[in-house]
Amino acid sequence: MLFNLISWFAPSQQDCPVCGRNASQASSPIVVPVKHAEPRRILTSLCGTCRKSIPWITHAICRICGRAESCEDCIRRQNRYYALSRCAVRYDPQMRDWLALYKYRGNEGLEAVLSAMLAFAYERLCEVTPSGFDVITSVPLAPERLRARGYNQAERLAIRLAEWYGLEYRPMLLRLRHTEKQSLKTRRSRVVDMRGNFAAVPTDLVSGTVLLVDDIYTTGSTLDECARVLTQAFPEASREVYGLLWARS
Amino acid sequence: MKVVLYAVRGETSMMAFFSIAWEVDKEFWNGRAIEMIRLKQPVPLGMADYARKKLNERWDQDASGLGKGGKKGVKAPSNEWIEEFRQIVQRAGDHYLLSGYLDLATERIQWSAYLSNASDLTEVARSIAIQLTGRSLLKEEAYQLFAEGAQKRYASIDPLAAIQYAALNGALQLTAAVAPQPLAAPPLRGFRAWVERLRAALPFGLAAAPRHAQDLACRRCGSGPNKLRRTACAACGQACAYCEACLTMGRSRECELLIIGVPPARASAESKVSRTRSSQAPTRDSLSHKVSSSHPRIANELALRWGLSEAQSAAATQALLFLNTPFHERASHTFLLWAVTGAGKTEMIFPLLEAVLARGGRALVATPRRDVVLELEPRLAKAFPDQERVVLYGGSSERWKTGQLTLATTHQLLRFQEAFDLVLIDELDAFPYHNDPMLHFAADKCRNKTGCTLYLSATPPLPLQRAVAKGNLVSARVPVRYHGHPLPVPGRLVIPSVTQFTGKQRIPAKLLKPLRRSVQRGAQIFLFVPYVKQVEPTVRLLRRYASQLNIEPDSISGTSSKDSERSDRVVAFRKQIIQLLVTTTILERGVTIPKSDVYILDAHNRLFDAASLVQMSGRAGRSAVDPRGFVYYGAPMWTLSQRSSIRQIRGMNSLAKRQGYFKDSL
Repeated sequence: MLFNLISWFAPSQQDCPVCGRNASQASSPIVVPVKHAEPRRILTSLCGTCRKSIPWITHAICRICGRAESCEDCIRRQNRYYALSRCAVRYDPQMRDWLALYKYRGNEGLEAVLSAMLAFAYERLCEVTPSGFDVITSVPLAPERLRARGYNQAERLAIRLAEWYGLEYRPMLLRLRHTEKQSLKTRRSRVVDMRGNFAAVPTDLVSGTVLLVDDIYTTGSTLDECARVLTQAFPEASREVYGLLWARS
Repeated sequence: MKVVLYAVRGETSMMAFFSIAWEVDKEFWNGRAIEMIRLKQPVPLGMADYARKKLNERWDQDASGLGKGGKKGVKAPSNEWIEEFRQIVQRAGDHYLLSGYLDLATERIQWSAYLSNASDLTEVARSIAIQLTGRSLLKEEAYQLFAEGAQKRYASIDPLAAIQYAALNGALQLTAAVAPQPLAAPPLRGFRAWVERLRAALPFGLAAAPRHAQDLACRRCGSGPNKLRRTACAACGQACAYCEACLTMGRSRECELLIIGVPPARASAESKVSRTRSSQAPTRDSLSHKVSSSHPRIANELALRWGLSEAQSAAATQALLFLNTPFHERASHTFLLWAVTGAGKTEMIFPLLEAVLARGGRALVATPRRDVVLELEPRLAKAFPDQERVVLYGGSSERWKTGQLTLATTHQLLRFQEAFDLVLIDELDAFPYHNDPMLHFAADKCRNKTGCTLYLSATPPLPLQRAVAKGNLVSARVPVRYHGHPLPVPGRLVIPSVTQFTGKQRIPAKLLKPLRRSVQRGAQIFLFVPYVKQVEPTVRLLRRYASQLNIEPDSISGTSSKDSERSDRVVAFRKQIIQLLVTTTILERGVTIPKSDVYILDAHNRLFDAASLVQMSGRAGRSAVDPRGFVYYGAPMWTLSQRSSIRQIRGMNSLAKRQGYFKDSL
């Protein structure tokens, strides 16, 4: 038929951006815990099964890193360069699959979903830091890694977040060395390896609170090192660094 | 990635190329071309590929005298062609929205470079070209392929340089993985052809524009613009499109390199042989006469050699004749082998494979699922012990091997191009093929130009059935099972829907009675329900009725696609530990139980189309021991798909009866 009349009246059929199955919106009365309209819209476009499987961290037990259980790392650590960090979800196998789909397989359709999930963490972080943030930045990738992958996932998430919440995105860090995959290393070697990995972009001095975005928080060594570089590079510009992460393992 | 766009000028013609390893090209054209220019800045591969095509189109026109002025063979003055190069590159840049920062500076090349390891490079390029015959791979995949077969001595050589060298010698074809679709040939008849003819006469206006805007398409999987997503890309520094349809096989994008190998050489030799053979035969008529007279003899041979039944060997003979028809005498390249469930399709493919392999051709058997591949592999190994076999599936260790006989899951076909003389596609209507144009494209792409495709199915999709009825598709039918008994025709039970009676916790008496009879006669029972979530409640309800059914509650079980112990359950069902298995369409194919009855509950559900109803009914009566299993459709109402499935089953039975295939004439 030239004009498919039935389709005019049928509800629009949208595929779930994660699993690709048809999302029947009516049958999933699961609450979306985000206030901003745009991330809300993105999260409601997920199908019921996917939306239900997101392990939100609604209450951070560790006041520092935002972990959903009590955390020895933060107690053990003597000096910390970042003020606080908050994570959106627990890093369970399901979330690992999602991140792998986006990061390694390159399904950039998931970018919107992951940033919408990060928006949840941002709103939680805003609750504990009423002063707000002056600038948002992200953990950089090494140039050759960036060329191979085609995008920096943390940067993409940060830019989306900046658009939604009216923040200013600014690249403030450079990655000097190409390190092996973090996930293959022990705790000790992570901290040691991170040393001297980053450098601050020297162009403009921004003082005030900086929000640093990354995808996963495992031991916090990346975040801490970045925060160290940001705070120590320009002692005249007093900076406070907050972390915002998509998942906490 | 970014590449170097350059052009060379010979005595009479100009040509444009892009290079992924510039030094190699510089060396290659040294002495072969008079003059060479390049864009100083590397440009994104997608744009370079496009500009190269445009440039070559233009210069080909000039060379053949069709272009403006028609100055054939006249050498263009040097500066003019550089200007032309810039112009066309500029236009291509506009097309790719690059013009703002496209640096048009060109550079004339001085011949001076000398590659130190030229002989090694030749060697590696040759081996790469051989490894890549019949393949179409992304850059990353090609790297993996070389890593597999790499020799230590050549470790110093950059694979990109070797690829570029092979491509310059014509052994490979390099393109962007996502590129504008080549324009299809204009239609020959009908309204569109008429419009096309008018267009040539129009000097300007809308109608004079090219036939359609050249849409981007994935060169690997054929997906069009609706499957492409454009994102900012750090590798080429602009927004470039990637294909979401074939993402599971690596990311194919506009600035990504797709390497296409030449078709295997043996196949072309084969077609030459067959051509000479047909020319040796006195006339075509006498040939076909000879063939038809030898027809029963072939059938007998097949029956003896491979243990085929009468119906099987008749169909296999038809398929064999189709395969042996020379390429230019065939009307089409597809053949449908339409065999009922339990006809023994696998046995029938052996003679066909043998025919192709004996000629030195390459054959492919594509099946939808991995477990089928693993099940088929030992049987093929037994039938063809001398042939090199390759088994491909996600995570298979033989990923980069080549052999005469390839057994693969459907997604693996994307990695081939014009590689096989025979492409055998099993269960055409099953899950991944169904409604997936990508896999159909892949199946088409991996067939050699002179090769043919054979579809195997018990329930061909409607378009194919229509093509057979119209005579557009050559086909052979096997209307009877190998044991020579008719297919069980489903009976009808008018009962409430599954949700209703599981809610009431009461099995309808109409269902209970035949179930009890099935148990009594010692048959194993398949009970199909449409949804996964209905499996558990149904099992629980049946267990409550276990004493009435006269079986142990433990021998009632259920499985579905969500079940992690599915394979264990199926094994238990095969071993008769489980007597009654509640399941979904996941088990509609492939499971053979000697003595079984089939109950399809909620047969009216729209998840059960005619094809899957036929498939599920085909689970009953598969062995010669118990050829007459029972099949029941339990549904509150009668639907079109139920009716048409019964019509199909009856139709096959009556065809078999007419052809006299039934053992005891009923």
